[in-house]
Amino acid sequence: MSEILIKNANVCDPAQGINCETMDICIKDGKIVESVSANAKVIDAKGRLTMAGGFDGHTHSAGKINVGRFINPNDARKNLVPGLSGQVARTEKTRAQVGYNTPNTYAIGYRYAKLGYTTICEAAIPLLAARHTHEEFKEIPILDKMGLSLFGSNWQVMEYIRDKEPEKLAAYIAWGLRASRGYGIKIVNPGGGEAWGWGKNVSGLYDPVPNFDVTPAEILLGLAEVNERLNLPHSVHVHCNNLGKPGNYETTIETMKLFEKVKPSRNRQALHVTHVQFNAYAGTSWRDFETGAPMVADYVNGADHLTFDLGQIIFGPAVTMTADGPVEYANARMLHEKWSNQDIELEDASGVVPLFYSPKNFVNSVQWAIGLELALLVKDPWKVMFTTDSPNGGSFVNYPEAFTYLMSAKRREEVISGFSKTALDRMVLPGIDRELDFYELAVMTRSTQSRMYSRPEKGNLKPGSDADIAIYDILPEQIDPSTEYEKVKKAFSGAAYTLKDGEIVVKDGEIEATPKGKIYWVNAKVPSTIDSAMQKDIDVKFRKYYTVSKANYMVEDMYLQRPVEITTEGVF
Amino acid sequence: MQVVKLSLKEANKIPIEADEVNPDNFAGKTEEEIKAIKVWYGNDQYHLGDFFNVKVEGSDSVENTKIVFEGDVSRVKRIGQNMSAGEIEINGNVDMHCGFGMKGGKIVINGDADNWLGCEMTGGEIILNGNASYYVGSGYRGESCGMRGGKITINGNAKDYLGEHMCGGEILVKGSVGLLPAISNNGGKIIIEGNATMPASEMKSGMVIIKGETFDLLPSFKEEGTEEFGGVTYRKFTGDVNVGGKGILLIK
Repeated sequence: MSEILIKNANVCDPAQGINCETMDICIKDGKIVESVSANAKVIDAKGRLTMAGGFDGHTHSAGKINVGRFINPNDARKNLVPGLSGQVARTEKTRAQVGYNTPNTYAIGYRYAKLGYTTICEAAIPLLAARHTHEEFKEIPILDKMGLSLFGSNWQVMEYIRDKEPEKLAAYIAWGLRASRGYGIKIVNPGGGEAWGWGKNVSGLYDPVPNFDVTPAEILLGLAEVNERLNLPHSVHVHCNNLGKPGNYETTIETMKLFEKVKPSRNRQALHVTHVQFNAYAGTSWRDFETGAPMVADYVNGADHLTFDLGQIIFGPAVTMTADGPVEYANARMLHEKWSNQDIELEDASGVVPLFYSPKNFVNSVQWAIGLELALLVKDPWKVMFTTDSPNGGSFVNYPEAFTYLMSAKRREEVISGFSKTALDRMVLPGIDRELDFYELAVMTRSTQSRMYSRPEKGNLKPGSDADIAIYDILPEQIDPSTEYEKVKKAFSGAAYTLKDGEIVVKDGEIEATPKGKIYWVNAKVPSTIDSAMQKDIDVKFRKYYTVSKANYMVEDMYLQRPVEITTEGVF
Repeated sequence: MQVVKLSLKEANKIPIEADEVNPDNFAGKTEEEIKAIKVWYGNDQYHLGDFFNVKVEGSDSVENTKIVFEGDVSRVKRIGQNMSAGEIEINGNVDMHCGFGMKGGKIVINGDADNWLGCEMTGGEIILNGNASYYVGSGYRGESCGMRGGKITINGNAKDYLGEHMCGGEILVKGSVGLLPAISNNGGKIIIEGNATMPASEMKSGMVIIKGETFDLLPSFKEEGTEEFGGVTYRKFTGDVNVGGKGILLIK
């Protein structure tokens, strides 16, 4: 029975419509409650900005990031954001930390917590490599974790879609989520991962996948139908076709339109489009490359069936890592960079390429602007999730820096003043004077995520919610983020307090405690007759093609630390 | 002029990480202060004076400070790391990472040097009067740039991967080198007076001159006539075409 009373908190909690109001927060046994007894431990927030713990809904923090570590041993010594990167010796409370874009697992936990984040969603778990992902999850302290399982280029998925067997497909997805202990359906360049196995790619929504006679559009809609049939807490999470190619904004809008007819089974979006910055490019080549953000934002402003995240880039070194194999090949060739390429057997492709975003490079400058344009041109912040697609656009430790871009036009001007004229001609950012306030920032970093992932106990401070709380050293009434962005950045870089399940994990920017986080996974119920019919099909796959047996494939309970099983009932 | 003489009290088996041993840290310091400089030994920190006899003559600025190691220091790593000026003389063999990230000044080694000599140096000079091991003037693992400036002269032989990922500066080897010298080069100049095997693979720019014999020249180099260097005419190759490189390789 532990009780905490946070006094004089200046609370910003969009889920309850609270916009920087001074109030007290009561915590009992790791949950937020209406009131506590007189024995409660008191934390005096002294009028400082208080939000629910941050929720990063799209990050690469376990699994593939390990390949990034292999090919970038030099990342271990990078210290571009002092206090949140580089080599830190172990202390009594923390283990040794290294790295910047690809830090070790412990550093990921500590650093997110320092930023006031308490939950992360790993954006891509290949079913075949899910055991490894969960092994890394186990070693990421403090944070609650969930992961999205990759289904977009999966043989069994494509066969069921081709053969029009939606029930078996639903059974397969439910099994796949169970096998990987995943939280939702991730689709990366639908069909492209399989095409890459033949050295090819798919060029758009209606370009058939080699040997499977299905199109990316059919894959998307087939999986969306199953997603809603199974009542999954998250919508399909889509990395569109043609990522990183000039002119791809058209494919992005086309993909969004495709989902207008999908009816969500829960009170959430029907589609989440991820790291849209990489998918909002206009022009026909890198020569006439320009922003496509206004067109995408226009469409999003008129639609209410989707959410998206930014994939904002941060100038400096980054490591791209994606299941989009052909994109990584193109990156490596264009940039003469190191390249890791993997074939995930029957399931997908994968690639890792380190790169450097330079403000001197006009393409990079425009990419930087596109992310911010998307955030600022889309009127409703509830449709937007803030991400850098860490570490694809840049490491998450730069979030505070990126917040200043969103909150201060002056800060943006400062960066833009270093751009070339060519770059300025290709972007619309200089004409945008919108500045987010703390309320909107809280929406993009917490509240949207809570709704998007159907996790009502996360990302808000309602009684009954998890007591994951961040207090930042900012007095909202006395600060003008538009001019005092350095203060904003400093405050968000090291929370005055981060509480996780009612325990103080960060105090004055330093780690206080390192409890183990929970793992959320979805167990979707499917009638046993359909399941056993589906099992026969995958048994053939295991016998004929997989390098592992089914028994060695499943993520078993022993891999999960503090698992939280979310059960859903499918409609059959 | 300040001269600091260091001699090992007894030969050590576990390496000493002497990354603080450079003229920048010694200049103007007394014998006691230098003895108190911390060095890693295994997983613990000790004082320099625990391992070395220290003798200081005079006191002067960094430029006018000379450190002399009397005798073999073949288990002392990172001597002269990040030094910006002054001189180090080593009268014996030296362990790995000597002159790592050196910015200026001079290191003279009267013995052999272990791996990673002059790794990532940006200026200054290293003269090795003995043989070098692997990865002379190369980059930290994973970096795209190794040595960026300065000069390394090796009066003996060197082993494999000489000047890996070099981006500038000069390496002169009087003897022969092992496999794959100048691999992934992106600038700078390497002169090998002896023999070399499979030179300049994945070279993007820079220049490599091999005065001795070249074994297993890679097929990914284009022959483009001849070029004179130092009064001698060499066959000129450019490449490595595998990476669209425009490096120049001169061989006999």
